[in-house]
Amino acid sequence: MLRRRWAKQVVFLAAWLAAAALLGLLFGAPAWWLTAALLLYVAHTLRYIFLLDRMLDGGKRHAPFATRGLWAEILARVDTIKTKSRNRKKKFHRVLREIRESTGALSDGGVILNGDNEIVWFNPAATLLLGLDPRTDIGRRLDNLIRHPEFVSYLAEPGGEGITFPSPKMESAWLALQIIPYGRDQRIAIVRNVTREVNLERTRRDFVANASHELRSPLTVLSGYLDTFADDEDLPNRWKVPIAEMLRQSNRMTQILRDLMELMRLESAESDASRDFVDVCTMLGLMVRDFDSAPAEHPAVSLQLETDAALLGNETELHSIFFNLIHNAVRFTPATGSVAVVWRTDDQGAAFEVTDTGIGIPEEEIPRITERFYRVDPGRSRAMGGTGLGLAIVKHAVQRHNGVLEIASVEGEGSSFRCRFAPERLLYRGGQAEAAV
Amino acid sequence: MEVEDLRQHISRSFNADIESLYNSVLTMGGLVEEQLDRAIEALTTRDSALGLQVAQDDFKINRMEVSIDEACSRILATRAPAAGDLRLIVAIIKTITDLERIGDEAEKIGRLAARLAGVERPTTNYRELRNLAGHVKQMIRGTLDAFARLDAKGALEIVKADEIVDEEYESIHRQAITFMMEDPRTISRGMDSMWLARSLERIGDHAKNISEYVVYMVHGKDIRYTSVEAIEAEVTLAGEVAEANT
Repeated sequence: MLRRRWAKQVVFLAAWLAAAALLGLLFGAPAWWLTAALLLYVAHTLRYIFLLDRMLDGGKRHAPFATRGLWAEILARVDTIKTKSRNRKKKFHRVLREIRESTGALSDGGVILNGDNEIVWFNPAATLLLGLDPRTDIGRRLDNLIRHPEFVSYLAEPGGEGITFPSPKMESAWLALQIIPYGRDQRIAIVRNVTREVNLERTRRDFVANASHELRSPLTVLSGYLDTFADDEDLPNRWKVPIAEMLRQSNRMTQILRDLMELMRLESAESDASRDFVDVCTMLGLMVRDFDSAPAEHPAVSLQLETDAALLGNETELHSIFFNLIHNAVRFTPATGSVAVVWRTDDQGAAFEVTDTGIGIPEEEIPRITERFYRVDPGRSRAMGGTGLGLAIVKHAVQRHNGVLEIASVEGEGSSFRCRFAPERLLYRGGQAEAAV
Repeated sequence: MEVEDLRQHISRSFNADIESLYNSVLTMGGLVEEQLDRAIEALTTRDSALGLQVAQDDFKINRMEVSIDEACSRILATRAPAAGDLRLIVAIIKTITDLERIGDEAEKIGRLAARLAGVERPTTNYRELRNLAGHVKQMIRGTLDAFARLDAKGALEIVKADEIVDEEYESIHRQAITFMMEDPRTISRGMDSMWLARSLERIGDHAKNISEYVVYMVHGKDIRYTSVEAIEAEVTLAGEVAEANT
C-alpha cells in the first residue's frame, strides 16, 4: 500500500514537472515554467501540512479533504488514530471513575503506600477511620499520622495476620489493619472497623472470668466438707466410695476453673510477658525430681541440661509451660516408657523439649490439640484427669514469651513438644550477658 | 523560608538524617499518647496492675528522649544547619523535652490510678476527670498531627483549646475542695484526684508548648507569651506572605 502510494506520488510529480517542461518548450522560458510548477506543488503540500497541523492541534476534522491521493490517505489515517485514542481515553476515564466510586463506597479503608511508607492514595473510608485528610496528607508518612506504637512496629515489619489497635479518630473504636505488598515497592493497608468484634470478645472473656470466679467459692465450700467427710473414720462404709469420687470430681472442677482463669488471664494480658530473671535449670531440676519421685506408678523422667542459660520472662507462666508439658507426657506414657526433658541452646535461641514414648497423637489432630477443651480421645483423657486446657495455656504463654510451640508425633510411638525461645529472651551465665533488657 | 518539605537539601544523607529525626520524634509522640491512654484506662477500669505498668514503662520514653537528643547534637555539630533546618532542630529539642514531661505526668497518673483503684470511688466514677482526660488526649493528638503535617493553623487550634482545659481543671479543683469540706473522710481520695487533675492540666500545657514550637518551626515566629488573637493575626499574615511568594 505504502509503496504504491508513494510510487503514484512520484509518478504524479514527474508527470507534473514533465508537463511544465513541455509547456516551457512550447511557449519559451522553460525555467520559469518549471519554477512555477514547483511553487504550485510546494503550496499544495504546505496546505496539507497546515491541515494536518490543525488537526493534530485538536481541531475537529475539517471535511471534505481531497478525497484521493497521498495526503487524503495520510489525513484519513491520522483521523482514525485520533478517534480511536479518544474512545480509549473515554473508556479509561469511565473505568477509573467506576473504580474510584466503588472503592469510595467500600466500608473498609484502603491506603496505598510507597516504599517509604508515604501515602499515595486513600479512600473516603480511610479518612473516616484513620482521620486522614485528603487535602494535606498525600505524601506524608503514614506512621507520622498514625502513631500507635504497635502500628508503627507493624508497619516497619508487616507480617502475619495484621494488628488490632484503637482508632486514632473515633473514641473507643477498634480497627484491624493489614498490610499487603504488591507491585514494585507498593503496599496497600486495609483497615476495618472491628469495634463490635473486640467488644464481643471482651464480653465473652469477662463472662468466662466472672463465671469461673463466681463458681469457685461454692465449690470451695463443697470440697471443704467432702474433705472432712473423707477423713472421717465413722463414715459408713457404703458412703466411702461415693464420697471419694465426689471429692475427686470436685477437685477436678476446681482445677478446670483454675486453668480457665489462667487462660483468660493470659489471653487478656498484654501481648508481651514481663522480663524477670527466671532460672530455668533450677526450676526444671525441682520439677523433674517431683515428677520422678511421685508415689503413683509412672514412666521414668530424665532431665538433660545442655546449657545453663536463664530466661527473661514471667516465672509463673514459664512454670506452667514446663509443668503442663511434662505432666502431659507423663500422663500419656505407660509406666514402662520414658520421658526425656531437654533444655538446650543454639544460635537460634533456646529450646525446651519434652519427648515421650507414649501413645502419640494422630497426625491430623496435631493442629487442633492446642484448642481449648479439644481432646483426641475424650474418654481416655478425661479418665486421666486432664482439664483440656493445658496445651491452650502452654501455647498462649509461649507466644507471650515471643516463642513458638512445635509439636511432632507418631501415633503409637510417642510425641515431642518443643518450645523455642528467641535469643533476646535469653541470659547466658558466665558474664556474657547477651540479653537486651 | 517556610518549612514545608523536609527533603529540600542537596545532600541526600542530610535529608535522610533530618527525616529519620523527625520520624523518631513522632514515634516518641505515639509512645507518649499510648502511655496516657493506658493511664486513663487504668483509672476508668480500676486496673491497678495496668497503672503500675504505665509507671514502669516510662523508661522507654526517657530512653527515646536521650537518643533523639544525641541525634540532634550530632546534626548540629556535623551539618551546621541554617534557617528552616536550624529551627526544625531547635523545635525538636524543645518538643522532646515537653514530650518527656508528658510521659512523666502519665507515669504519675498511672500511679495515682493504681492507688485510687483500691479505694471507694465517687458515684460518677470520676466522670469529670475522664472528660478532662479526653480533652487533653485530643490536644496531644492534635498537636502531634500538626507537627506531622507542619500545620501552623492546626497548632493554633490547640493553643486555643488549652483555655478550655484550664477552665475544666479549675472547676474540678473547686468541686474537690467542696467534697472534702463536706466529708473529711474523702480527703485522701480528693487529694489524689486533685493531683490527677493537676497532672492532666500540666499535660495540656505541654501540648500547648509543643504547638507553639510547631508555629515557630513552620513560620519562624515565636508566639510564646502572646495573646491568642495576636498570634492568629501573625500566622494568617505569615501564611499569606508565603502564598504570595510561591
